[in-house]
Amino acid sequence: MQTRTPSTVIVVGSGIVGAGTAYFLAKRGVAVQLLDAAAPAAEATGAADGAVSVASKRPGPMMQAALAGVALYRELAQAGLFADIFKTRSTFIIASSNEECTVLTSHADALAGAGVRVERLGAAMLRERFPALSSNAMMAVEVHDEGHAIGYQIVHRLLTASGTLVSRRTPVEGLVTAPDGRRIVAIATPQGNIHADAVVIAAGNGSGKLLGLEQILTPRKGQLLITERAPALNAAMAGSIMSGRYLLSKGSQPAGNGKPARGLGLVIDPLSTGQFLIGGTREDHGDRRTNDIDAVSHILADAVALVPELAGVRLLRSFAGVRTAVADSLPLIGRVPGLENAYVATGFEGDGICLGPITGKVMSELVCGESPCIDIAPFDPARFPRLGVAA
Amino acid sequence: MRDPDVLVIGGGPAGMSAALEAARSGLAVELVEQRESLGGAIYRQPVEGVPAIPQSAGARGRWEALSRAFSTAAIPVRFGSVFLGVDGHGYVLVEDRQKGLVECLSPRAVVLATGAVEHVHPRPGWQFAGVSTAGGLQVMMKETGTAPRGSVLLAGSGPLLIAVAAQMARLGNPPLAIVESGDPYRRIMPGLGMLGFPKLLAEALGYLRDIHLHRIPWLRGSRLFRIERQGDAFSAVVRTGDGNQSTFVCDRIGLHDGIRPNDYGLPPASSEAMADPVIVRAGDCREALGAIAAEADGRRAGRLVIKGVAASTAGDMEQIDRQRRAQALLSKLFAPLDDRSPLDELADDTLLCRCEGKTVSDLRNLCQRADSLTGREVKHNGRFAMGACQGRFCAANTAALMARFKPEAPAPAAADLTGRRWPVRPVSIGALVRAASQDNDTQ
Repeated sequence: MQTRTPSTVIVVGSGIVGAGTAYFLAKRGVAVQLLDAAAPAAEATGAADGAVSVASKRPGPMMQAALAGVALYRELAQAGLFADIFKTRSTFIIASSNEECTVLTSHADALAGAGVRVERLGAAMLRERFPALSSNAMMAVEVHDEGHAIGYQIVHRLLTASGTLVSRRTPVEGLVTAPDGRRIVAIATPQGNIHADAVVIAAGNGSGKLLGLEQILTPRKGQLLITERAPALNAAMAGSIMSGRYLLSKGSQPAGNGKPARGLGLVIDPLSTGQFLIGGTREDHGDRRTNDIDAVSHILADAVALVPELAGVRLLRSFAGVRTAVADSLPLIGRVPGLENAYVATGFEGDGICLGPITGKVMSELVCGESPCIDIAPFDPARFPRLGVAA
Repeated sequence: MRDPDVLVIGGGPAGMSAALEAARSGLAVELVEQRESLGGAIYRQPVEGVPAIPQSAGARGRWEALSRAFSTAAIPVRFGSVFLGVDGHGYVLVEDRQKGLVECLSPRAVVLATGAVEHVHPRPGWQFAGVSTAGGLQVMMKETGTAPRGSVLLAGSGPLLIAVAAQMARLGNPPLAIVESGDPYRRIMPGLGMLGFPKLLAEALGYLRDIHLHRIPWLRGSRLFRIERQGDAFSAVVRTGDGNQSTFVCDRIGLHDGIRPNDYGLPPASSEAMADPVIVRAGDCREALGAIAAEADGRRAGRLVIKGVAASTAGDMEQIDRQRRAQALLSKLFAPLDDRSPLDELADDTLLCRCEGKTVSDLRNLCQRADSLTGREVKHNGRFAMGACQGRFCAANTAALMARFKPEAPAPAAADLTGRRWPVRPVSIGALVRAASQDNDTQ
């Protein structure tokens, strides 16, 4: 590991992880060159549900990382950087069947055991606290101290605040190593080779080709919806809603098993504009970015079943993004095995918005030879032996 | 009911002629029209019990022939239905607003014939209720048979302004004035070129005669550059060709700065014949050339979906080319005398995006940086083209203004802001949910 701060760093990918890395490096006075094959937040960051949340996490390294992620959002909001773009609110996980009640009850215990502030709401209490909910809702768990942030707004703020310029439309074609193969000396782009002391790869699905990760990373599509403004209904929602079924579906499909799968979860987030964000799917398709009526109408049917008044609101937009999932469902955060000055941070699937800024901080620490502020050992890329620089 | 072979979106001249052409070959054709009657904006029919306003003989003849042929062909029309887009699986989504549900159709081909929209440059005050497009006033006259009430000022550029003024005069309420940024009388060459289009010229001279008879001032080389509220009325500040300012007090203002394809959010035309469904554009939404070209282009599109190849007859292409030359001449004839872009002198607080209340200075602040934002970034971070109008009001002007602020960056297109995802219009969630329950019933 390096013991000194590099003076120049190339960051590949200006999604939330790349922008966060650039921000924290720039704050240390490092000259950062941020490259993107398209433009900032053009991929998964720009099509995310924006949950800054531990509500769906099970105890383990991802929950610990998510807790640190939420804490950093709060800190940056208090410091003013995210003041107007991080909305704090609770997440309500709703159970509408006996099966969901059982799962939710044990999930709430697990959250509480990990120190998360949760509150159980029975049917009567729930109706009082959340009048917009349908009587289908049998019980809920309110997870306190959570929030929502829009990925592309966070990226824009990080870049603007740190004065980081992005080289748009600059795809990275390859990594140029030193003769001994132990260091990256440059990265190759159509505009020529660019040299730097260190390289951070935060290129989502684009990281696969650069680092020989094609067998490890899977593109996972998600479809999301935005409604028009409905201020009265929006104000009647005390926080975001997550269907208890989400707990059943999330993480239930190991990536890369070859079978096309489509999980439908349900999240309804009242946005600060008065609109609603409604999602979403997890689909093991390739690069398709389309929305289909089958998914959209089923998501909305589920949404209306929980919040009946949504039937009278209009859908304004649909969108889809392709997240990057890792074979073992844990992200890759750390040094690229065999290379002294190359780092990778990708594979956050649906947790990129929550974990993006904290990962950016961690990357800046790693690049500068410091110990990271959270335990990233479970995310060490070296757990996949074949990972390395693509030949 | 089985799905049609060809679904035509839009019941104006392009859509009607495309449907007719496709139906002639024996294909099952259906037409989707958002209103309760056919004709589009150009042949908008009066509401029940109202006599039609006088049209030029040419326009009347074209509509009579087209609507007669269409009724004879007995092509089914889905009235009160809105095209939402083509989804990722190739379903064509149509919201039936009477039944309150979304239908998913699987035609082999879709002809998009959604017409044109008027272009209007931003001006301070242009967002006030009571300020509309001049074409909007014209459509209202066609529907109601009466002129807009009160004192009306028309401003902008182009032959439509004199047509609207003449029609208002004939209905008994001539406008206060026409503020025209060009001056056809000073454009000798294009003026002479118009001699090659005698019918168009005769129509224009007819309008000018009415304008003269009613002593409507036609202020050429002038710009309406600010609108202010004055009690219940507006005061409209005009800079005339000699550099002086004058103010008109009026009740309504009709603006018009040309037309452009109504292609907001539309899926792209298919690049290959094997696409499922094949998507073809016809008429003004492909190239805004007016009703005569639209009808010819509709026939071209109809044949294209039958044969899967571009099998245009020479006659139709000649007609389209001729209309293209006419439009090019007209735009030279009405070219602004002041060649500074009206976008360069906008006050900072001029509203660009009505839905989200975003101004020229909001856009300038966003663009003032060393690197250049893409259209999508401007949309996301400035909230331009994000409101309920889905960019119809602001996307074209925002893209044009971005290019003025950052001339060195790749010029963004309106579609970079609006994107191309369905729904192309906001749609009731209840109607979409009913699409899901229909689907379950059939399984």
